[in-house]
Amino acid sequence: MKLKRGKMLVDPPDCATADIAFTLIIFFLVCAAVQPETGMSQALPKTEEKSEKRAQSQNPEVSITPSGIVLNGNPLQLPEFTRRIAIELKSKTREADRIVVVKSAPDTSYPTWIGVSRAIESAGGILTLELESERTIEIK
Amino acid sequence: MKLPRKKLTASVPTFAMGDIGFLLLIFFVILARAQDDSHIQWQPARLNNIEMAPAPLASVVIDTGSKIYLDGKEISAEELALKLSAVLGDAPAGRRHVFLKVDREAKAAVFEPVIAAVSEAGGDLIHILEPEDKPTQ
Repeated sequence: MKLKRGKMLVDPPDCATADIAFTLIIFFLVCAAVQPETGMSQALPKTEEKSEKRAQSQNPEVSITPSGIVLNGNPLQLPEFTRRIAIELKSKTREADRIVVVKSAPDTSYPTWIGVSRAIESAGGILTLELESERTIEIK
Repeated sequence: MKLPRKKLTASVPTFAMGDIGFLLLIFFVILARAQDDSHIQWQPARLNNIEMAPAPLASVVIDTGSKIYLDGKEISAEELALKLSAVLGDAPAGRRHVFLKVDREAKAAVFEPVIAAVSEAGGDLIHILEPEDKPTQ
């Protein structure tokens, strides 16, 4: 008569399970945190205080409002603006002529601003911001 | 008769060297992320055809409450240019990358002075945006 040999149970060693789990948690946390970012680079001329006396400029002027875009006094929407600014800058070869002065209404949203700025840069323009400065004058 | 004493050999256990090395690697990766602004709440604007951004020297964030942060610390728009110049130091042009993370609800009255400050500090501005085709989470 043959006796069956009892099978031996082999347990994997579990003393390091906690260490392994902890290391895995840290690994996935770091992986989640270092996701590469995407964006749009923008070249801006260095900010300077502009004197009140401004030379007669031939540069295009853009005003951005929450409702639309005004290019040299003509109100436009973004697709039309993109076309018109490209035509306007096409003939300009000198860098100084490619400067586009942008003035935004205080309540202009960031996505609108980014859309206009992308259109100007795609057309080869150099975006310059015209900021309103606040001054407090005390009257005695 | 003298019996020779058995020499005991002391060896360093190398069993956990792999684990230790791996943990040290992760530790230094976390330390290298000096500009941690992950605690700031902001929603990126969307745009198509955007590129991968290079590693920045500084990160400026405008959060959902229109507060401004430089490398995770709250700052005013007036102080930003000076502090940013100090952070950028003598880095050559083309390597003075500054991330600008603006919440999509922010208004020009808030983000334009910040852009002007980055420009004044001589930073190479990179707007951090989300690709338009990415599904909403």
